[in-house]
Amino acid sequence: MFSRKSRADGGLALLAALALGLYLIFLVLPLLLSLRSSFTNENPLRATNEFIGLRNYREMASDVQLRDSLVFTLTLAVGVTLAANALGVAFAILLNRTHLSYRVMRTLAFLPQVLSGVIVGFVWQTILTQDGLLNNVLTSVGLLDEPYPWLGSPRAALVSIGVVLTWVLSGFTTVVYLAALQSVPIELNDMATMDGVRGTQRFRKVTWPMIAPGTTISVTISLITVLKLYDIIAVLTGGGPANSTQSTALYIVRLAFTSDRLGYASAVAMLLLALSAVVALAVTGALRRREVTL
Amino acid sequence: MLRKTFLAACLAGLLAVTACSDGGGDSGGGSTLTYLTFETPHLTSTFWDNSIKAAQAEAPGVQINRITAPSTDRDAYAKQLQSSGQFPDLLQSITPSNFVGAGLLKPYDKAWVDANFLLPQGNALKGEVYIPPTNSQVVPEVFYNKELFTKAGIGAPPKNWAEFLDVCAKLKAAGITPFTLGGGDPFAASMPLVGIFSADVLGKNPNWLKDRYADKVKFSDANVVTAVEKYRTLVSNGYFDKGALGVKYADSITQFTGGKAAMYPMGSWFLGSVPKENADNFGAFPWPTDDGSVVIPFVVGGSMAISAKTKDPDGATKFAQAWSLNPANLKALIEGDGAFPMLKGKTLADYNVTVTKVFEDSYAYVTEDNTKVNAIGWATNDDALPPGLNDQFYAASQALFTSADVKGEMEKLDQAWKTATN
Amino acid sequence: MRSRGRTRLIVAIVVTLVFIAPIYLMLVNAFKTGDQIRANPVAPPLPPTLENLTTALTRPDNLIPLGLRNSLIVVVCSVALLIPLGSAFSFYISRRRGRVRAVILAALAAGLMIPPQVILLPTIQILTWLGLDHSYPGLILSNLGGGYLSFAVFVYVGFMRSVPDEIVQAARMDGAGGLRIWWQIVMPLVRPATATVAIFLSLWIWNDFLNPLFILGPLQGQTITTGLYLTIGQYSVDYGQLFGIMFLAGVLPVIGYLTVQKQFIAGLTAGSTK
Repeated sequence: MFSRKSRADGGLALLAALALGLYLIFLVLPLLLSLRSSFTNENPLRATNEFIGLRNYREMASDVQLRDSLVFTLTLAVGVTLAANALGVAFAILLNRTHLSYRVMRTLAFLPQVLSGVIVGFVWQTILTQDGLLNNVLTSVGLLDEPYPWLGSPRAALVSIGVVLTWVLSGFTTVVYLAALQSVPIELNDMATMDGVRGTQRFRKVTWPMIAPGTTISVTISLITVLKLYDIIAVLTGGGPANSTQSTALYIVRLAFTSDRLGYASAVAMLLLALSAVVALAVTGALRRREVTL
Repeated sequence: MLRKTFLAACLAGLLAVTACSDGGGDSGGGSTLTYLTFETPHLTSTFWDNSIKAAQAEAPGVQINRITAPSTDRDAYAKQLQSSGQFPDLLQSITPSNFVGAGLLKPYDKAWVDANFLLPQGNALKGEVYIPPTNSQVVPEVFYNKELFTKAGIGAPPKNWAEFLDVCAKLKAAGITPFTLGGGDPFAASMPLVGIFSADVLGKNPNWLKDRYADKVKFSDANVVTAVEKYRTLVSNGYFDKGALGVKYADSITQFTGGKAAMYPMGSWFLGSVPKENADNFGAFPWPTDDGSVVIPFVVGGSMAISAKTKDPDGATKFAQAWSLNPANLKALIEGDGAFPMLKGKTLADYNVTVTKVFEDSYAYVTEDNTKVNAIGWATNDDALPPGLNDQFYAASQALFTSADVKGEMEKLDQAWKTATN
Repeated sequence: MRSRGRTRLIVAIVVTLVFIAPIYLMLVNAFKTGDQIRANPVAPPLPPTLENLTTALTRPDNLIPLGLRNSLIVVVCSVALLIPLGSAFSFYISRRRGRVRAVILAALAAGLMIPPQVILLPTIQILTWLGLDHSYPGLILSNLGGGYLSFAVFVYVGFMRSVPDEIVQAARMDGAGGLRIWWQIVMPLVRPATATVAIFLSLWIWNDFLNPLFILGPLQGQTITTGLYLTIGQYSVDYGQLFGIMFLAGVLPVIGYLTVQKQFIAGLTAGSTK
């Protein structure tokens, strides 16, 4: 009996082991290699690769570019997460109707998520550059006297990237919050209407408790997306002007592929990983708590 | 139902995997070499394909697999390919110093170089030539719009810094933006700074970069800071468009040729973009110095480097040499990319090219006897910057567009130099 | 009440239109000449021109047809292998109890969070050791092992926990082995999960940028995403061409999304509440 069962399960176990093996080889092992490299001065173009202990990590403490990139990344992450979720909630409430036109609009709202970051970057670049479509339109209707540098000053570029990312992510958050809204019986809404609960009070007492569960996933995804982000910024500003929009992810790629400093790039990558881990832990913690309540 | 389609899909997937792994094998006979190129509006993919065909005729059996860099920054892409293990066999117009340290490039035969080029050591690294010095450039020249100069009552291009400032002031007073800057692309943003640095710092001390490598001078030295302050003067006087950092390089070309500004500091490759129909409206002068002496920020470029690890060094060399000496290739580079030819024993007429007056004037700066310095950030010889420093230099140029902290930016460059070279 | 409904509809429509304006621009300008675009980027394409599209499709380097083909190969191979791997693993793990499962799931969760830049270079090194660097099998293998597997497992585990134990037990009594139970009994029950996984992974792998750019590299041809990036460099001032190429590169995923959008949204919903 016992032996038959394990033989019969062998195929499945093999397949599962294969999956786990692939995960170990292509995710866990690269992580370990990257960790190892972070203690070296690996530089493919100078043919150096020696252990230098914690020197890379000490260097990070005084690296101004790294500090700027972290400030930029975190500002963007927090700003975009707040904006995309606020917009998602507002959009969800607005579109939470069953009429056909609303269903069409819901479909359209998700579209930015479907396009690749490269396309998103290029489309917005044609809109936002100095000679781009936005300045073209604004100056021709007389709203602007001269073109505004949407990507041409550090602060404007930060805001522009924030807007583009919010645009991309709010498609996602809208759908998540709509799902949460729709999982709640309509009667509850009607009861609230009959009880005369309105406006902000209604939002706080009725709507918010309904959509609150959606925040976990959509806040996490927003944060993680910004932390990982590469393609949109690479296309839109390339990190400029003057490195002011160089996210940490972009800085890692530049360190590795332009400055040839693989060892140091790995060390910075470990920092980004730690940052992501903090977010991940906070979220899995929250998820587990919810699992208990369900 | 789902199961069947599903199994079919899995099978298809596996088949595709094996099918893919079969592809890419050598197709027998000769060797296949990868060749990294880049494309511009003038060096189109047709140009590359034709030039490759012509060179293949002289290097029988060599097959070429051409790769195109995503931007004109071939070095970044070559490094990217190198660190991901696919360094090409042939690399067009790269900066050899980036790759020589790890022994990635194979030098050319000195006798062949000496026999064929005007400046055989023009881009040599420690005496070795990794790229045939086929052509040269001036980075930057100041291009100007004659009609706009006349409109502002300016008779002749400025000869020294004081006259230059005067010209800017007159243009501004006449309601004409003095400069176009493609500040959205870092390399283009750095052009005025390359001009100032080359004229003021390198013009006075042509060995400045060698001294920098020896730690005898610094970016934060007073003379450098004073020179760079000149750029701040131009910016704070409002001689650039306020939104210049949002202008892409490609757009800056159309802005300047469209008459939106009077001057455009850019590498001599801009000569290829001078509009044919009113080419005579454009002139060029070297970036002016304080005392009016002529300093030419000069770069000897060239054709392709050869990987030291290529599996067919003989074929690669034959191909590269044939390509480098083919006048037809230089014709395209001269006409389209404003390159100044450096082949021995040939005049412009030998290339059968039609060039503009402004090209001839610019070419004169190359052939005349004057002070030539290695343009900072562009030289590919011993005066090339350490890896990553170019980006820092560009970033500093962009930063100084909005920040007045010249000393601080120069200190950052010194710091970056230290991490890049230690 | 009625007028309030109408106001709401108008507000909703206006907001939606503003929201999708960039996509509208991409769509209309793909059918306009460069001059028309510069003259008025927001005008509808009247009369529409197909020139941008035909030029894009007949480029000498075959960017679009080759890119689409290559992307298709990568997506189909990766997803076709990820689904059985992910679901078998999830089924196996969802029948286990306790600590081991929790640990493995937590480790997999990490896979969703890891920025791809962190593991990019070592992955290439590993593929080089395996002799699979810069090849489609290499790219596909690295897709199988990374965060995509984590995603598949997460979706499947949620669904498989809801498969009643009795069904599995009954099948076992009938003498069915693990492999058969998984394939013939469980898989049909978790079809919505398969749909979700297939749809999302196809989209993500199709749009993936960093991996094809670095792991596949230029020698084997570009995927549509990297091809687009490598082609529209700093020299593109030809807006007509730009929009034509972007339209062709973006139209497939959009059509795909519109066809399966019900499952798409359903999957997202299930994912966010599971």
